[in-house]
Amino acid sequence: MRELSYMEALREAMRQAMQKDDRVFLIGEDIGIYGGAFGVSAGLLDEFGPKRIIDTPISEAGIAGACIGAAVTGMRPIGEMQFSDFVVIAMEQLVMQGAKMRFMFGGKAEVPFVMRLAGGSGTGAAAQHSESLENWFVHVPGLKVVMPSSPYDAKGLLLAAIEDNNPIMFFEHKALYKTKGPVPEKMYTIPLGQSHVVREGKDLTVVATSIMVSRALEAAEQLSKEGIELEIIDPRTLKPLDEKPIIESVIKTGKALIVHEAVKTGGFGGELTAVIMESEAFGYLDAPVKRLAGLDTPIPYNRNLEYHAVPQVENIVEEARKLVKGQY
Amino acid sequence: MAKEIIMPKFGFTQEESEILEWLKQDGDKVDKGDPIAVVSTDKISMEVEAPEAGIIGGIRYKVGDIVPVTRIIAYVLQPGEKAPETDAAAPASQAEAPAAPVVEEKAAQPAAAASSSAFSISPVAQRLADDLNIDASQISGTGRDGQVTKKDVEDFAAALKAGVGKINATPAARRIAQEKGVNLQPLNGSGSGPSGRIQAADVSSARVSAPAAQPIMAAAPGMGAIPGLTVLKEIPLVGMRRTIAQNMQRSMQQAPHMFLQVDVEMDAAEGLRKLANQNKVADAPKISVTALIVKAVAWALKQNPIINSQYTDEKIIEYADINIGIATALDNGLIVPVIHNADSKDLLEISLELGDLAQRARSNKLQPDDLAGGTFTISNLGMFGIDRFTAIINPPQSAILAVGKMNKVFVPDENDQPVLQRQVAFTLSADHRVMDGSQAAKFLTDLKDSLLNLGEILK
Repeated sequence: MRELSYMEALREAMRQAMQKDDRVFLIGEDIGIYGGAFGVSAGLLDEFGPKRIIDTPISEAGIAGACIGAAVTGMRPIGEMQFSDFVVIAMEQLVMQGAKMRFMFGGKAEVPFVMRLAGGSGTGAAAQHSESLENWFVHVPGLKVVMPSSPYDAKGLLLAAIEDNNPIMFFEHKALYKTKGPVPEKMYTIPLGQSHVVREGKDLTVVATSIMVSRALEAAEQLSKEGIELEIIDPRTLKPLDEKPIIESVIKTGKALIVHEAVKTGGFGGELTAVIMESEAFGYLDAPVKRLAGLDTPIPYNRNLEYHAVPQVENIVEEARKLVKGQY
Repeated sequence: MAKEIIMPKFGFTQEESEILEWLKQDGDKVDKGDPIAVVSTDKISMEVEAPEAGIIGGIRYKVGDIVPVTRIIAYVLQPGEKAPETDAAAPASQAEAPAAPVVEEKAAQPAAAASSSAFSISPVAQRLADDLNIDASQISGTGRDGQVTKKDVEDFAAALKAGVGKINATPAARRIAQEKGVNLQPLNGSGSGPSGRIQAADVSSARVSAPAAQPIMAAAPGMGAIPGLTVLKEIPLVGMRRTIAQNMQRSMQQAPHMFLQVDVEMDAAEGLRKLANQNKVADAPKISVTALIVKAVAWALKQNPIINSQYTDEKIIEYADINIGIATALDNGLIVPVIHNADSKDLLEISLELGDLAQRARSNKLQPDDLAGGTFTISNLGMFGIDRFTAIINPPQSAILAVGKMNKVFVPDENDQPVLQRQVAFTLSADHRVMDGSQAAKFLTDLKDSLLNLGEILK
């Protein structure tokens, strides 16, 4: 199969959605002439024109509000937060309005928009441009939260998100944009709320999100040489969460390690831990559920410190090995 | 300073232990962790370890003495020291015995030696640890270079106190222990996890009836439910169910069973039992029919050792020990606690033990030793209203006795006149590889005779 980068897969999904459905449009900062802060929408302005590729001023609340208004009046907008950190400006629109409209209007309004957000660290962009804020939105009823970890998932999940009639927070990872992988040319969707067993193994269940999936895979290859086989599960959508494969896997392995980039305290790992503990998997646990996550600190500007602020392959190898050997 | 060796508390409810053997005598040199005495509680015997290196002195009890837990039983002395001359009955200085350093025969010694060279403790912490009778080397220090501080000792003591009577085990270990009927108490603190936490593998290796995990042959080639039928429930083949399935299938497939039956008049035995129960002292247990049968079976086994045996591919092993397992129904399966040396116990002892084993079986409190070492099994379905049945031999044993309920029947006397008689049907399942019909018949005849003349064998 042909290989695309994560960024190209996202661009292709948007292009194909816009070709198929003229209700779909894109709105954000620097997405048109500049092609997006990371180049995700490069070339789309030439193809679809300024009415469908809308450059805005620096006005995140405005972008979100425009998406919500357009969505309830029949369009299917895709908004972009060029850094997910800036979503703080748009919180009132997204959380107070967009998430609740369907419910407060008794189901008479649908709010089918996708908000794409570029998150994560690794680019040396410091504390205000490197956060992983997905769990804020997991906590808001009415929003769905999606986190693709590969080019294939990026395209399939984005197309599913565009088709969905609910507000979707679509968290992309900046450091994944240039990673490559097989992506079919045709349009396809990956249903929201379907966990993916990325790798099968018998010794330890690793639940990883976004960029941590590829790091976990790399760790698994190293540990495999020691005879330790990790089972890696990518939830893909944090909300709705497909719990079953995770619970089944923990029943099988008896141990679980959760890996995400967002800071540990109040992160999605806590939620996943509780899901496991409340399930029938509890009786099969042979070690505490462990979380490997970002340090409780704003991301440092210094590249060395930035590297150590979030889980890396070697950290996953070490944590997983300790858990499997019962020396946690 | 003379280090006290105390009688350890192995179980939460245990109050005393018997000294079975002194492995060291006054004047013997010991290293820390050396076993110095074997003591027993219930059926489990445990070793008491030296708490530190030195010379054993001041042994206060002799073999056979029953000693309350936490009492000082001896000292470890340093060269030149003498054992303190205190009252032997005085309890050790600490109020509550900490988890005693004990080793089971099979349990591996924790590798404490590795860290001992680097061990460091502040003087005040050492004194506090001594006062609290805590082995400070178990404590991980938080001070400079890992030195154990006073606060570390205090925290450790508090944690120890909070944990008294609690078991440190993973959920998986607890689940397996429950399924297998393994008591976690003896393993507490000696698991392979952090701080001695018991993990699944520890329970599996401690399992008494651990048969080599063998795959069970599929009953039918299709593993799933029959198409078209509605499934009410699926019961996973795990734990006790799996063990039973494996053992019974192995027995039925490998041991050629033969079945012999005899109906035994029980009037004489019943009369004796009633008389005994009428005249018993107030708090003595009532003697049950099962106790009578156990006693008679033990006697008959003694006359017929070939029944009390085990088949192997090279030889048949007859046992001198007569350890009779009693198949005991549980809500979720079956367990076979053992009355050890039943031939040397009287009816009262057997009745007491039967009651105790049944109660502990139902409350899941059987110890590994309660289940080990059976040489013959009795399965009694009389209480379920069954007249007679055949049982499957409990491997590696050679025979099993199936006991039915006591029925009243008319039988002809010598003048062919009907007389009312109480009878129990006994069915022996015997492994034909080990014995032949005549030998099995001899055993059953002896059993019958012993029940007809119970007074004789009880003499």
